[in-house]
Amino acid sequence: MGRILIRFNEEQVSEPITAQIIIEYKVPMAILAAHVNSKGGEILVEIPDESQEEIVNAFRKRGVIVTVPKLIEVDAEKCFSCGSCVALCPVEAISLDKDCTVRFDKEKCVGSTCSICVDACPARAIKSIKHNGDRSANSRVKRN
Amino acid sequence: MSKQGRTRTVEEINEKIRKGDAQVLTAEEMKRLVESSGVEVAFKEVDVVTTGTFGAMCSSGAVINLGHSDPPIKIDHAWINDVEVCHPGAAVDLFIGATNMSEKKPFEYGGGHVIADLVAGKEVELRATAYGTDCYPRTSIKTTLTKDDLNQFYLLNFRNSYQRYNCAVNGSDEIIYTYMSKLLPRMRNATFSGAGELNPLMNDPDYETMGMGTRIFLGGAQGYIIGEGTQHSPKNLNGTLMVKGDAKKMSPEFLQGASFTKYGTSLYVGLGVPIPILNEGLAKKTAIRDSEIFTDIIDYSVPRRDRPKLGQVSYKELKSGSIIVNGKKVRVSSLSSLKMAKKAALTLKTWIEEGTFFLTSPVERLPTNTVFKPMRQTEEIPFVVSVMHPAVTCTEDEDIRAIAERIVTKSVNHIVVVDDSCKLLGIVTSWDITRAMAEGKKALADIETHNVITAKPDEPLEIASKRMAQHNISALPVIDIEKRVLGIVTAEDVSKLLGR
Repeated sequence: MGRILIRFNEEQVSEPITAQIIIEYKVPMAILAAHVNSKGGEILVEIPDESQEEIVNAFRKRGVIVTVPKLIEVDAEKCFSCGSCVALCPVEAISLDKDCTVRFDKEKCVGSTCSICVDACPARAIKSIKHNGDRSANSRVKRN
Repeated sequence: MSKQGRTRTVEEINEKIRKGDAQVLTAEEMKRLVESSGVEVAFKEVDVVTTGTFGAMCSSGAVINLGHSDPPIKIDHAWINDVEVCHPGAAVDLFIGATNMSEKKPFEYGGGHVIADLVAGKEVELRATAYGTDCYPRTSIKTTLTKDDLNQFYLLNFRNSYQRYNCAVNGSDEIIYTYMSKLLPRMRNATFSGAGELNPLMNDPDYETMGMGTRIFLGGAQGYIIGEGTQHSPKNLNGTLMVKGDAKKMSPEFLQGASFTKYGTSLYVGLGVPIPILNEGLAKKTAIRDSEIFTDIIDYSVPRRDRPKLGQVSYKELKSGSIIVNGKKVRVSSLSSLKMAKKAALTLKTWIEEGTFFLTSPVERLPTNTVFKPMRQTEEIPFVVSVMHPAVTCTEDEDIRAIAERIVTKSVNHIVVVDDSCKLLGIVTSWDITRAMAEGKKALADIETHNVITAKPDEPLEIASKRMAQHNISALPVIDIEKRVLGIVTAEDVSKLLGR
């Protein structure tokens, strides 16, 4: 499964673009995070790897910005396993194992759209790298 | 052990350490042994129990001596890596406080990081200025240093190893950043600190074996307890330690700089105390479990010294990952590292087993009767309750014209919208009414603000005033916990009282 971040502008947000693409391509999409209002918004969806290219192109054809968000990066050297981040994580991607070491599950993490743990780390071991996915796709949409 | 097997002395234990047959257990292992075999057996078999903790200990620092420059300088102000350091003594002695922040990277880098960087062998930059005297003519200096260049580099922590600490939640509607880390609104998370059953003081709560001169594990090297810590409050099970150790010998693993967003910087300190099992009572005390150690759940959103206590919770519950507050499940995380606390206890155990660490009897035990007093204040500060006045209100079914009239007759700018039981629904200002007239709007619902910024009666006025400035508004309805409107406080009230 792969994750993509889809960003809608003010005009696009009222159209049922995501629903149309799901119906047209018959691809299941799990919505992991969504921040949407009348001014636009972004949703983070999970799609099967084999459909990723097709789906990304389908969104882009409709003028929507699609990026492949980078996940949160944890510097294991800096982390001293205090655990401050554990209870903050909304998807339980961070846990303490049996010997009280903080474990970070990349599969569960919803990535830089959330980032709730980043400024709570006293060791500054967690970094969020924002949307440095496909830059050319962004600039193409901006021209439109 | 003495012949009757009823007591043993520190000297006897040290003799066993010398011979390599002292029985040492970590606090964790001791608890398991007592549970499986009982106190009597544990007392017979165990000579020493090692404890440990690893947490943010803000009242930490280091004394350094730089040696003299040529020409010599009597330092007046000094900075290391842009962190201001104190000059408590004569010419070239400095104190690096863990919470002093970098002037260039505040909240991200501070005294705790400077200490940790020096311990790690890194080079730091010193800048200093002076007024110049006949004997110390130099007025400024800039140089780089490592720990090897320092004459003395002593960790000198005046409050460490809190016996237990609060569990923190945030009952407000906004996120807050505290020394208990990031607290989400409406109690969506909780944090706690302390090692619970592994904490040194918790395993010897009558301080039978601890005091001035007790040799301990400090920051990965040998250190000493030099007395009670500041705010030591033994009667409430809130004892603390003052400690010292040679930082040149310490390890970066057990001393780490920390940054708390919007709060400041600190130092994480690894500390472990060996408890000689001198009598059966100590065997029993070192068997204490997390389920027997309780702490208060405190609402940190209340900006007062005495914050509301929302209940009690055991360290067992805290370590389980979730607790119940006001009937609701709240996820909880630790701020101190249990992993590192265990590692401190285990390292200390290994040192004793290897015969490189010997126990000491304290020259003077920690006091058991100290009281932690609040500050004596000679000036009272104003609270919201001291300036708030009755709010002019309306209900949602009233028409704009009636509200406009009320604004004029009562000579106010804010009308608070309430329901039948006086609960807050919204606010309308004279500006909203003016705009409604201009735009031809007739319904209150079209102009009313529902998302109202409010104040609580027991908040300091200064905080309410800051909130108004932050949201660029000129009044705050004052509400109780059930959202009932108690009154209103306006920017005018604030400026009358605070003279702004």
